[in-house]
Amino acid sequence: MRSDDPSLKRLKPPKLTLFEQSYLPQILGGLFVTGRHIVNAAVGTGSLTMEYPEVQHQPSANYRGVHRLNKDEQGRVKCVACMLCATACPVHCIDIVGATAPESWTDREKYCQSFVIDELRCIYCGMCEEACPVDAIELTSFYDLTGLSREEMIFDKTKLLSVYDLTKTAEPMKSGIVAPESSHTNELYTTPTMGPVIERQQLV
Amino acid sequence: MATIIIDGQNYDLPEGAKFNAIQAARHFGIEIPYYCWHPALSVVANCRMCEIEVGSKDASGEIKMLPRLTPGCQTPVRDGTVLVTDSVKVLEHRKNIMELLLINHPLDCPVCDQAGECGLQDYSYSHGRAEHRFVEERNVKPRKEVSDLIVLNTDRCIMCTRCVRFTREITGTAELQVMRRGDHGEIAIFPDHPLDNPLAGNVVDLCPVGALLDKDFLHNQRVWFLSKHDTICTGCSTGCNISSEENAGKVWRHKPRHNPYVNDYWICDEGRYGYKSANAPDLLAGSYILDGGDHHGATSDRFFKRLNEDLTHRILDKQSVLAIFSPFLSVEEAFSAASWVKHLTNRNTMALGPVSVLGQDQTYSPDKLTGRSGDTSFLVPRPFTISAEKSPNKAGVSFVINHFQGSNVVSFEDALKLVPSNPIVIVFGGSPNSDWITPEQSAEIRKAERVILFDTTINVLADAADYVAGMATFAEKAGSYVNRDNRLQHFDAALPLRDGVWTLLDILAILRGVGRSPIESRTILAEAAEKILALAKAVGGQVPEFGLNLTGQDALIPDAGFQDDWTMASLAKA
Repeated sequence: MRSDDPSLKRLKPPKLTLFEQSYLPQILGGLFVTGRHIVNAAVGTGSLTMEYPEVQHQPSANYRGVHRLNKDEQGRVKCVACMLCATACPVHCIDIVGATAPESWTDREKYCQSFVIDELRCIYCGMCEEACPVDAIELTSFYDLTGLSREEMIFDKTKLLSVYDLTKTAEPMKSGIVAPESSHTNELYTTPTMGPVIERQQLV
Repeated sequence: MATIIIDGQNYDLPEGAKFNAIQAARHFGIEIPYYCWHPALSVVANCRMCEIEVGSKDASGEIKMLPRLTPGCQTPVRDGTVLVTDSVKVLEHRKNIMELLLINHPLDCPVCDQAGECGLQDYSYSHGRAEHRFVEERNVKPRKEVSDLIVLNTDRCIMCTRCVRFTREITGTAELQVMRRGDHGEIAIFPDHPLDNPLAGNVVDLCPVGALLDKDFLHNQRVWFLSKHDTICTGCSTGCNISSEENAGKVWRHKPRHNPYVNDYWICDEGRYGYKSANAPDLLAGSYILDGGDHHGATSDRFFKRLNEDLTHRILDKQSVLAIFSPFLSVEEAFSAASWVKHLTNRNTMALGPVSVLGQDQTYSPDKLTGRSGDTSFLVPRPFTISAEKSPNKAGVSFVINHFQGSNVVSFEDALKLVPSNPIVIVFGGSPNSDWITPEQSAEIRKAERVILFDTTINVLADAADYVAGMATFAEKAGSYVNRDNRLQHFDAALPLRDGVWTLLDILAILRGVGRSPIESRTILAEAAEKILALAKAVGGQVPEFGLNLTGQDALIPDAGFQDDWTMASLAKA
């Protein structure tokens, strides 16, 4: 559109009165907000800081934290390796190797042999979750993700599936399906690389 | 001059063109969608996607339109033909056809390998409707294997019968059939008669949907991750135009590119699966010097220095050189290599490396009648040959040797006999197969005092040579080949160079002490064209899209360049 396009609507800045031109009402308004916070903090009811980690932050329901890979009713990974998440990912932190599904999986022909997310490279934008056609990848409310090495922060399929097992009760799948308990996945919680996840489990 | 009217605009048809409505419209940049029509196959008009309004303008200037829609693939265009491709009637009809074609479609694009290059996806996006009104149970057909390499997902099939027509009309083998009729129709093979002709892989490219898929590529990659590089197949001396598709440092598949003068729309399965040697894990990974009976890795600097010193010393001793040029070298590499050998010493003999010939040439020559089941009046049948000579550039390398030697090319067998009289043997390899040289031939060459080898694979000669330098494989280099019909064709590199090696052009530029790397193949070709009479047509290193006929004039093909692919981008390019 050209700047002289007749369909452009031109706006004029509002005219300030003499009182407003002195900026006093704005300064006084700002000081009032500051004062309100000082009083609230002093009385203790409206404190803006939190005694973390003694007090845990509860993120909002649509918080975008660590990813999880969802399981279906039979405990199999839901992902069909369509790589739409990897395509949508703006930072290319998802690496998937697809493979033909085992013969016994009659309902699908493809699954992910490997599914790796670099949690350090990820910018937690949630595009993968939006792109997924089978609701396999979801972002959980985990925010306190720590690790001792970069390798530890590269989450593979096992680790992402275990995040699902940890969070499925607190955060049901958006499609509403809950996978049954499976015994063998529980062992994974105790592997040494699962540091941050174990800690979180005790809190849930 | 024939003038036709498309969507109210006048267009002049090119001279000698026998187009149908789809080709004519495409020629002028207007799209008529189609599935079952293919420029090399007979017209059956069974998908109904290309139906448009057709009419004609008579001498008085009055336009008479046919009352109903007509398939564009079956409509010849001649002077006064009127085509309407964008009326409400046509657009509504396309919507209905798309809905019909998709009635039983499983809609499993996320797991379908065709997604991203699928005719159904492209056309539902541009011509279809967003919602599906069919509420009855879908007719789900079985999935089956039609050969060891190809799967047939009948549930995705739209019964365009392109694959059936291909096996009947082009290969003449007729393995594929339509079984049953109507809604229950499906493509099938006879029991124990798999689709195993040497061109079978083409049905996968022909299939506009995800019904016929290549098992070799199945579930490996999504097609939108692949970057395509226009190259030439090195499998035989036909020099088929192919697109080498690469992602993450690996070639994943070869697809044919249309070239009416060479391979039309096809490639053979040998070429299709020939990409695998580009990904081989055990290629020569650097330069090595034989020291005390063992090869030691050398940095490029040290390697070139040692080689230069050694050669200079020996040349001063008036030792003569035997240079062997593999027919897998590009024209540029051969020219550059021969220039270096000439630069070293005038006491040299240049010979052609081993050219393997397997069996007989296999030619498929479709005509307008054999196996044809529909209208063939717009069709120009073109033969396809799988050459028995299994190297891409025997002709080009021979041109170069002829020029430098001023006499006939010495064959590899004769060259082996010359080894005793030449203390220095330089071998320029490049074959993707490590068995291009036998242990006996290698032992024969090893009798020379110094053996210098530039190659890609670890082979018997590499185990024996004094100096071994790894070089770019066929997928890592760019250049040009001359095929069996003396057509010079340019090819691009598909893969980045692997660590530790150089392209032969760069190696030779360093050895000759000319030019600065990276050397562009075009500059070398321009130099070769100036010096070598046979290559004189390649002025400035420029090679046109369909290659350069070095010995004659190409017949004009009006529909040349009609790529049969499904991306809208290709139309925008045309």
